[in-house]
Amino acid sequence: MSEFKLATVEEFEAATTRLLETGAKVGADAWQFRVKNQTPHCKFGESGVCCRICSMGPCRITPKAPRGICGCDAHGIVGRNFLRFTAGGAATHSDHGREICNTLHESSADGNYHVKDEAKLLRLAKEFEVETEGRDIYDVAHETAEKALMEYGKPFGTQIFTKRAPEHTQEIWDREEIRPRAIDREVSCAMHMTHMGCSSKAEALVRQALRNGLSDGWGGSMMGTEFSDVLFGTPKEVETEANLGVMVEENVNIIVHGHDPSLSEMICEYADSKEMIDYAKSMGAGGITVSGVCCTSNEVAMRRGIPMAGNFLSQENVILTGACELIVVDVQCIFPALGPLSKCFHTKFVTTSPIAQMPDSEFIRFNAKTAGENAKMIVKMAIENFKNRNKDLVYIPKMKQKAFVGYSVEQIEKKLDGVTNTHVDVTGTMLPLVDCVKSGVLRGAVAMVGCNNPKVRPDSGHIELMKKLIANDVILVVSGCSAQAAAKAGLMDKRAKEYCGAGLKRVCELVDIPPVLHMGSCVDISRMMVLAARIAKDSGWNISQIPLVGCAPEWMSEKAVSIGNYVVASGIDTFLGVEPYAYGSSEVDGLLKGGIRDWVEACYTVEKDMDKLGDLMIERIEEKRTALGI
Amino acid sequence: MLLFDIVFNGNDSMYAEAEKAVNDAVAQYGEDMAVGFPDTAYGPACYYAETGIKITTLREAKEALVYIKGEMQRERRLDSVFKSGIATALSAELIELMKYIDGKQPYEAPYLGHMTDAQIRELGVPLVTYDIPAVAIIINAAPSVEEACALVKSYQAQGSFVCLVGGIIEQLKEANYNTGFNVRVFPMGENISSVAHAVSAACRTAMIFGNITPGDKAALQEYNFNRFRAFVNAFAPLDEKTVACGAGAIYYGFPVITNDMDFTPSIPKSLIKQPKVEEFNATSVEARNIKIKISNVDIPVAFGSAFEGEIIRRKNMQVEFDGSRVDCAELVHTCEPSEVEDHKITVIGPEVDEMEFGSKNSIAYVVKVAGKNMQPDFEPVIERKFHNYINCVEGVYHTGQRDMQRIRISIDAFNAGFKIRHIGEVLYTQVKNEFDAVVDKCEVVIYTDPAECTRIRHEVAIPIFDKRDDRLESLTDESVDVYYSCILCQAFSPSHVCVVTPERLGLCGAVSWLDAKATNELDPAGPCQVITKERPIDENLGAYEDVDEAVQKYSQGALEHVTLYSIMQDPMTSCGCFECICGIEPFSNGVVIANREYAGMTPLGMTFSEMASMTGGGVQTPGFMGHGKHFIASKKFMKAEGGIERIVWMPKELKDFIADKLNKTAKELYGIENFTDMIGDETVAEDPETLVAYLSEVGHPALGLEPMM
Repeated sequence: MSEFKLATVEEFEAATTRLLETGAKVGADAWQFRVKNQTPHCKFGESGVCCRICSMGPCRITPKAPRGICGCDAHGIVGRNFLRFTAGGAATHSDHGREICNTLHESSADGNYHVKDEAKLLRLAKEFEVETEGRDIYDVAHETAEKALMEYGKPFGTQIFTKRAPEHTQEIWDREEIRPRAIDREVSCAMHMTHMGCSSKAEALVRQALRNGLSDGWGGSMMGTEFSDVLFGTPKEVETEANLGVMVEENVNIIVHGHDPSLSEMICEYADSKEMIDYAKSMGAGGITVSGVCCTSNEVAMRRGIPMAGNFLSQENVILTGACELIVVDVQCIFPALGPLSKCFHTKFVTTSPIAQMPDSEFIRFNAKTAGENAKMIVKMAIENFKNRNKDLVYIPKMKQKAFVGYSVEQIEKKLDGVTNTHVDVTGTMLPLVDCVKSGVLRGAVAMVGCNNPKVRPDSGHIELMKKLIANDVILVVSGCSAQAAAKAGLMDKRAKEYCGAGLKRVCELVDIPPVLHMGSCVDISRMMVLAARIAKDSGWNISQIPLVGCAPEWMSEKAVSIGNYVVASGIDTFLGVEPYAYGSSEVDGLLKGGIRDWVEACYTVEKDMDKLGDLMIERIEEKRTALGI
Repeated sequence: MLLFDIVFNGNDSMYAEAEKAVNDAVAQYGEDMAVGFPDTAYGPACYYAETGIKITTLREAKEALVYIKGEMQRERRLDSVFKSGIATALSAELIELMKYIDGKQPYEAPYLGHMTDAQIRELGVPLVTYDIPAVAIIINAAPSVEEACALVKSYQAQGSFVCLVGGIIEQLKEANYNTGFNVRVFPMGENISSVAHAVSAACRTAMIFGNITPGDKAALQEYNFNRFRAFVNAFAPLDEKTVACGAGAIYYGFPVITNDMDFTPSIPKSLIKQPKVEEFNATSVEARNIKIKISNVDIPVAFGSAFEGEIIRRKNMQVEFDGSRVDCAELVHTCEPSEVEDHKITVIGPEVDEMEFGSKNSIAYVVKVAGKNMQPDFEPVIERKFHNYINCVEGVYHTGQRDMQRIRISIDAFNAGFKIRHIGEVLYTQVKNEFDAVVDKCEVVIYTDPAECTRIRHEVAIPIFDKRDDRLESLTDESVDVYYSCILCQAFSPSHVCVVTPERLGLCGAVSWLDAKATNELDPAGPCQVITKERPIDENLGAYEDVDEAVQKYSQGALEHVTLYSIMQDPMTSCGCFECICGIEPFSNGVVIANREYAGMTPLGMTFSEMASMTGGGVQTPGFMGHGKHFIASKKFMKAEGGIERIVWMPKELKDFIADKLNKTAKELYGIENFTDMIGDETVAEDPETLVAYLSEVGHPALGLEPMM
């Protein structure tokens, strides 16, 4: 065997320590220090019993003060907070999806944005009942985009994509009255329900939290995923690299950060042009390296093989290398800290979206019509900034790992087709995967997603759990910052099969995949929903029967709660390593960790000890196997 | 029942049987009793390959049981299933081993049981050349005798090697189906435990060709998974023991295809359910990612390398052609493109149906070829393949070459409609298939008219053969500018490189310098690459900087130096498929050579198999060297140590085979007449003392030479 070895969290931390030394030289702040200042956290906030919804308060619940001024008890307050948290996440993902639909609507043969995957557009057009026969592809694109945008505000009916779910799941959604209506309506409804003097019944609030989550997962997020594929291509297996070592010292380094591929795709396109590369060379650089942070990195890695510099809690590190000429961001998960931090170096911090405007940044408003010019200007700005680099401050940790990424459902299907036998099998199904699970070669699957959170030693939750799971023949599909943690560790290198149990190792060899499959950004968890639905349909099992669980060991954002809600509401048990702000109510907490199982056949489990969390997941998978008699 | 439990149960049963067999044997013979399989240097090879321990006594067999038990893990993980699968195979091997105790011969024809090392070595070349594209292990009786025969025939037709276990053997017997190593259908035994002989063949392949260190489990698994193209066809009803063996097969990467639709779940590319027996072949081949070379030869009988070893006896013969009695010839003739009409086949003289039953006839076939890149040097290369092409026809048998060929057409082939012109069809198709890079057009003229045959033989063929012989005589290592590397075997023996020179053909005996040259021409990026000889280090040793660089490159750094003419200093490596092995015999200062066919003892106290196991797999073992038969008579044979006068012993059959050439070389080099007579053989001595006495008596020159070590 080659000298392949997984990278460790200790190695990541050593690199970070070294970068913080650079930071100390220039007086930079860092999240590590801010965490100290913020601890201990407010227990009222953390348990969810603080209510700031009207100006009679704020009220907070204690044994001595069991009700707020309006008379709302802890269950109502916690429920409202939980629902609002969800609504925040659902709105965020869905608005991202809306932007993509708008971009598609702006696409044209000679414009900035084109239809890259026509076949996928035609499939979607059919779903949206758009006539395709004999029409110009852009006419089809525009009408489909419009129909998709209507999903956000349509007065009647429910989300079109929910029809992709298995019958049984749809029956549950109807029975429990959680099949989502218009996307925006579910957010509005959540805000309305949580207004002073509306719902204070835990059950009602949690139910809406599930429906609002579903409007994200089977609505807004799915829009984001599907139409990004149409515009930028459906991801296919591609090789890339991950961790700070992907930044190249002699090159102009541009970091793309955020979530929306519309911006990052354009930046990559221009940075790769001869004109810009020549310009960079004329400025004394070797070339241009674009690398990514957070989900925008996932998007361009999946479609272009652009390397991943880091995930959520590495975003300050890229600037601390002293070799980052420019960091350009769009929306979500961007530390406002980047502004002041960039001032400690030569780094340009460029914000582009009216949604995410920050002090200490240069704002270049990005839109579909002017995207090309905007991108070119940003790339030029980075190149011209190269000369301002303080060479004495440059230190790029040499660590990086190889990664294979790009496992869209379409790619997974193709990979599985590769292990079918034309004399006995049909292609285009998930059956090879189902057979591996049925026979016991694979014990099951875990969908691992979510962020970093200083409450968990960064990346250790993701990486340690993944290592444990693959050693137990459990395959992983991952997205978001979890995916980047895996890539940084080397778990997306095909040689990582050596860390698997015999079953998963054999699957990796035969299917030619790494044991941890990168399915994309956080909106791409919708891909996992489609995958689960496909598995259910091909196996004849209900989604909740599949030996599959969800996991977000280091989650932190509102989006994560929205995701958790739609994953659970789709029938997938979800395991968290960070407690939601809900334990202040036994009713809400009880529903989330048990009661909702009666509604949607799945619920949450929270366990902060990662090793135990892993055991619990394996246990649940084995329970599901036993129940199926496999 | 769950698949895992089936495997665990099957493993338990097989282990219990093995335990009983060993305990019974101990009770009968005592623990010190020696055990082993015949004609192998690897003991029970599965156990040896897995553990690095060679079982030689019943005591060791008992100890093996302890090891096997330890491997029988019962976790709900595939790892346990794989380990249990191997434990089942190892148990089966012990059961088989006990059958051979005390010199017993437990199997009677058609059952063959254990496969010898020599047989495995013989399979080496056809396996690497894909002439044997696959090894099919068929277990249990097919739904019908017809389906059993058809399936086996389908594998033979593509050249695959078939191992049979259980009921299918009786089915073939019932149909009078011809089986045996020579036709690549190897009935192992009636019980499932006999499948261990197939696993043993795979394990020995890994050790012989892959230089896998016995006991390096991971390397063994990887070798079998990546290189040994085997699969299993298991007919319903499956039982637990068979499934447990299947787990072992799957562990090694050999998929199992079954028509038992209920007993187990499916596993992609590993355990495949195929209800249609007629599709077993295609399903299996696809599951193992085997590409079958399709030779769609338009003839009324089957065509495939599995029929190459088929022998047609007189009683089964319709007609024969015999170059030793009447005028015959086979010839490739380079022509101008305008002189060749592509795919034209002409028969001049009577067809088979016009010949008397059982008669001896003349035949001469001239294959006219034309092509921009064709060179007369390639004529003998193409011509030498005729033997192989014609032999691949089911029911047709060919031996010899040039004007000494002998062909028999069987009654069955004749009844199936096989005609003389079909020989033309076979030659045309295969020449165009394999030599497409140099042959653009090809026409075949077959003469059966006796007068025409006499004319072709004496006026056309013999003058050409003479001219070629002159050319070959002039081809010496000194007279050419380049040598060739041959890495054809690297599919099996990853670090072995042959250096082929005019006077030293490849150790497999199949690649001469002209073959290598043609191969290089046919496929410039292929296995034979030019090696220059511009920077000699020591011409006596045959050491060249160019050669060293080439072997370093083509062995991926595994080899640093190779000499062409020494067996002591940096000798050329072996892949394992060598025709002969030579090893030093210290008492006489000489060397002993054994050929693969020789099953007896040599004066080294080792059989061919044991000598062969000293080297191979691309490693250098000074004092031992694998080589082709024809190299023995070469002036370059261990030239650095004094040359052929070092040869003190060879099996009689090999001596007879090589005598004329060897005597000629000895005469030229040393002026010794009838040198071959001075060399000992098994009729003279099988031990060093008797040998040395004989050598002294005949005045063998080796006794007066410097000791080699």
